[in-house]
Amino acid sequence: MANIFPRGSNLLPIKLVICGMVLVPAVTGAMWYYFTPKYTRVGYQPAQPVPFPHDIHAGQLGMDCRYCHSFVEVAAHSNVPTTQVCMNCHAQVQKENPKLAPLWESWKTGKSIEWVQIHKTPDYVYFNHSAHVNRGVSCVSCHGRVDKMAVVYHAEPQSMDWCLECHRHPEQALRPLDQITNLGWSPPLAGDQSRADAQEALGLQLKKDWKINPPDMNCAGCHR
Amino acid sequence: MKRIFQHPEEPATGKKYWRSLGQLSGTPEFKGWLEREFPQGAAEFNGGDVSRRSFLQLMGASMALAGLSFAGCRRPEKHLVPFTRGVEWSIPGKALFFATSYPTRKGAAPLVVATYDGRPTKIEGNPAHPVSKGATDLLAQASILDLYDPDRSRFFLEKGKPSDTATFEKALDELIKGAGDGTGLAFLLEDHASPTRERLRGLIAQKLPKATWTVYEPLGSDLADEADGVAFGEGLAAAPTIEKADVILALDHDFLGTDGDVAASRAFSSRRKVEGPDSKMNRLYAVETRYTITGGIADHRLRLPASQIGGFAAALAVEIGAAAKDAGLDALARAAKFATASFDPQWVKELAADLVASKGKSLVLAGPRQPAAVQVVVAAINAALGNIGQTVTGRKVSEKPAQSLVQLARDLADKKVKTLVIIGGNPVYNAPADLDWANLQAGVPTVVRVGHYEDESSVNATWHVPLAHYLESWGDGRASDGSYVSVQPMILPLYGGWSDLDVLAKFAGLPKPTGPELVRETFAAVAKPADFVTAWAKFLHDGFLEASAALPEALTFNAAAATKLVTAGTAPAAPANGSAPAAPANDSYEVVFIACPKVDDGRFNNNGWLQEVPDPITKLTWDNAALISPKTAKKLGVETDERGTADIIEISVEKRTIQIPVLVSPGHADGSISIALGYGRTSVGRIGGGTGVNAYQLRTTTAPYFAVGASVRVTGKRHQLAITQEHGVLEGRGADLTREATLGEYKESRDDKTYFKTMGMDAHAPKNVSLYTNPPLNTAESIDPHAWGMTVDLNTCTGCSACMVACQAENNIPIVGKRQVIDGREMHWIRTDRYFASEGDKDLDDPELVSQPMMCQHCENAPCETVCPVNATVHSQDGLNVMAYNRCIGTRYCANNCPFKVRRFNFFDYNERKLTELRKWNLISERGMEDSLKLGKNPNVTVRMRGVMEKCTFCVQRIQEAKIATKVAERDSGKVRIPADAFTSACAQVCPTGAITFGDINNPESAVSKVRVSERGYRLLEYLNVNSRVTYLARIRNPNMKMPGTEKIGAAMKSHHGHSEKHEAAGATGGGH
Repeated sequence: MANIFPRGSNLLPIKLVICGMVLVPAVTGAMWYYFTPKYTRVGYQPAQPVPFPHDIHAGQLGMDCRYCHSFVEVAAHSNVPTTQVCMNCHAQVQKENPKLAPLWESWKTGKSIEWVQIHKTPDYVYFNHSAHVNRGVSCVSCHGRVDKMAVVYHAEPQSMDWCLECHRHPEQALRPLDQITNLGWSPPLAGDQSRADAQEALGLQLKKDWKINPPDMNCAGCHR
Repeated sequence: MKRIFQHPEEPATGKKYWRSLGQLSGTPEFKGWLEREFPQGAAEFNGGDVSRRSFLQLMGASMALAGLSFAGCRRPEKHLVPFTRGVEWSIPGKALFFATSYPTRKGAAPLVVATYDGRPTKIEGNPAHPVSKGATDLLAQASILDLYDPDRSRFFLEKGKPSDTATFEKALDELIKGAGDGTGLAFLLEDHASPTRERLRGLIAQKLPKATWTVYEPLGSDLADEADGVAFGEGLAAAPTIEKADVILALDHDFLGTDGDVAASRAFSSRRKVEGPDSKMNRLYAVETRYTITGGIADHRLRLPASQIGGFAAALAVEIGAAAKDAGLDALARAAKFATASFDPQWVKELAADLVASKGKSLVLAGPRQPAAVQVVVAAINAALGNIGQTVTGRKVSEKPAQSLVQLARDLADKKVKTLVIIGGNPVYNAPADLDWANLQAGVPTVVRVGHYEDESSVNATWHVPLAHYLESWGDGRASDGSYVSVQPMILPLYGGWSDLDVLAKFAGLPKPTGPELVRETFAAVAKPADFVTAWAKFLHDGFLEASAALPEALTFNAAAATKLVTAGTAPAAPANGSAPAAPANDSYEVVFIACPKVDDGRFNNNGWLQEVPDPITKLTWDNAALISPKTAKKLGVETDERGTADIIEISVEKRTIQIPVLVSPGHADGSISIALGYGRTSVGRIGGGTGVNAYQLRTTTAPYFAVGASVRVTGKRHQLAITQEHGVLEGRGADLTREATLGEYKESRDDKTYFKTMGMDAHAPKNVSLYTNPPLNTAESIDPHAWGMTVDLNTCTGCSACMVACQAENNIPIVGKRQVIDGREMHWIRTDRYFASEGDKDLDDPELVSQPMMCQHCENAPCETVCPVNATVHSQDGLNVMAYNRCIGTRYCANNCPFKVRRFNFFDYNERKLTELRKWNLISERGMEDSLKLGKNPNVTVRMRGVMEKCTFCVQRIQEAKIATKVAERDSGKVRIPADAFTSACAQVCPTGAITFGDINNPESAVSKVRVSERGYRLLEYLNVNSRVTYLARIRNPNMKMPGTEKIGAAMKSHHGHSEKHEAAGATGGGH
């Protein structure tokens, strides 16, 4: 009986195995990276109806984050300012700037400005801003150096893994309560201490004093 | 090492606990409910035409199609839309609380309503008001769903054609201009004690003096008012002070349920909080037709047809007259013409003796819908017992009397009425059948109907106007203690509806109010404040005017007037010839029209929460039925089988006929048929359509409560009922689940701290030894010092089921529809298990009753957690058994392993799909929730989707909110402990009797940690070593040892108690441990 398969096919199984060994990790790795927020969200930088430059307001002018995001310390949701808040200044400042046309439009018609949402948690995640900013976590930990962004973008992945990293090691983010909105703050360095060491030392102290105990194993801390 | 528990054979004698007659006879259906989490069929695919195989093929194809476009992978662009101008007090995402009240015929219920971003989402009782003290009943809880009901009336209709508010206002102005002195103008309203409405009524009477004012409530207290007027004088009403009474007799009076309010429940239970062997408690006797929750909690209960209650009252009056040597009472009782009642004379004798023994501290209550003569006799009994001024106090009636519906019907028949204004109510549906209201109303030239729904009464109306919900309108009212309460809107009318005050203001010649101006004026007149602005602000803030409760009035019993009423035979039950109405005879039955604890008089018929919450006693959902006793069922040859299929009978009363399925209900009086009103609506929304049978068709002006002489025919047809009594049955029997003792036994056990902890299997099972150690949970010294726990006091739980609706509202629990309930898929996180108890197989006709709320027990050694393959259900350090919905893949292993059967699975997308189309194939059926329903959801709780397991979370959203609030307030101080009892779970908050306590068991200050250590405390299925966080407190009955049949109560748990009978061998084990 003639051979059905050619001689070359004897090596086929081993070829398949080797191919598989390369392909499967490659596909897995690609999924791992490209299908996670690290790739899909970081850098998301949509155009806003009014090109509000955070670098000028929060950076150059030194306005506090809480001037506009006024309820961040009391509510779960950090609010976007009402048109009225913008008008507090812009009724006088840069009145003629054409970029502010949508603002005037909104002020006259009473119709809200539709800001494009950049940071968004899924429906089943109950993130609370007030729980963080009142307990030593700065805006910068999750939103990056907004005071240096001309157009705000998604700076951190904000995936669950990323959240848990900090919930397991809160000392890496804790700082004095009066420095929460100071995005450029760095811990005082003693001698030739590195910044990371200084942060760690301070963070551990604060964690102990304030009884910082973020939910790291309790699903219900964030999912209800 | 698996330990298999062989439950000891139940002794042939001694008390048995059972849920259904099917359980007693051990039907295969019951075994199915017991042994499987999801009984036969419930876990099957049930996809209609699509088999599992073809489903997989179709799914494969659709996955391939989905793969073709990756557009779905990108996150859609969402917008943040702030206000243009900030709104006072409003913080996005934070709740604001407003005090208001819910107007009902029993008095306005004081409430505090949570609103998120302008949307009311949850109703709670007003904790500052003495009537509510934070509690509500289930109707007030569910009333928020009516606000968002997508079937609500949305449009102004002129002769059935869409119109608008401006056209209506113009037409109304024309109407009022042509009204002259009001001749031919008639108002028909519901019974709300609103001072502003009364004020407008006065203004209308000045402007339109000939206009008539009628108030009609199908379940109103007209007869009680009449009786009080006769017995104590016009303008006075008797009000019981239940908390002062040592011995209470409820004669067909469901004062803990449909006939009472939360204040009555609290007053009663305040005397039943038994702690320590020296404690005293009140004693309740109940004489009633069907089992009510009042009868369920009673220490002694006698079942008697409603028509014989009068006879019983007379017999009792004779006994008391003799015992108290009161000749007047004796004469009055003997003069009364009541049907002879048949009962054990010893029963009434001992009852009389007990009442007389606690003279001045006893209380007899008569059902408010019993004939006035019966109520007058009861007033006489109270007078003879010296209770007047002690446990019965007087109160002035604040409203002027209104015309009766019968008089209005006469005017309509005589064509005297040209314009009929109906505000609220639904007379076409619920007026007595002999009035033939539909035809009368059709004969009126102009009918202006202001209603919540386009219902039966709107069909032929000239104008239909959407009535604003009470959460949408300004108003006021009087609570049941007579205090002045506010009604304030949380939201503008969703569909531009008018409130009753808006319409009446127009008739009073005032402009349509745009705000609270009418109420402000009334408030100024009622409160006469020195500083109006401050007083008004305080009134709205508190929700009521301080110290405005009605002052007690002295009552004097008018024996002469009472005798006149009783001898005149004005009792509607008495036929015209004056002879006593016949007792239910052999083939003649009595039909009792009962108030439904769920849909009330029919107004909540389209409320899905109330349709689906099981009746507290019968556990019937989505229907009403003719309740009959097992004996009567046998005589008729009808049954309700284990799957809930019921025989349909035809009931005829004076040529009026209805066909209705029967529901055999233990504890019902023989020869009597009870039918809940409020079902069988013909013009109602999608929820209420097709539910139940309209019993108003049998109800006449002469027999508003019960009709005698009914004949019954078995039709041979059958109807499927959705009854939940066998759903979620637990392994373990009797004392494993509910434990009880008499007060005497409790006192005897004073030295034995383990008395209640060693009953049932717990008396036999060897001590638990754990081979494994759990990760440590929080202790009082931990950084997070909290540990959550709950107690449920079976001694004060009446089974009213308000907790079930409160939980549904708080936790976004969907309704599933009748078909799904039949399959055992109802989603309630907390259910109320109702057990009957009887001596062996005897007394099935007259069992005792225990209600037991059952929710996730948050076991520290939770069986559900160990079987989850994806760690979707895990334990938190503060002792919660938490569910991560986004992790759950729906294997349902956890539910199968839960000994308490408290886990609920989303078999379908109940939130997104129409209940009638649940079985349609997923990809082709319409999805999406009605917009209005979305507004009412709690924003702090995930709305679950298909394929996800869920269960009680101990209101984890409230726990987290409290934790965060504490941390936000304390910031860097390090005081992270939540103050004791700073918040509570939804079920504990709503409970009118305070039976449920929730809180931090690590905090010695908290209420729960104090209740938890009670001697009455026990945990369910302790022998399984699940180590649950919920402690039940055993029920204590306080029987009168001289009563006939008491020995049965006394013998209650003895057979289940380890101390009297040891079954060491029975605690068998399945291996060497």
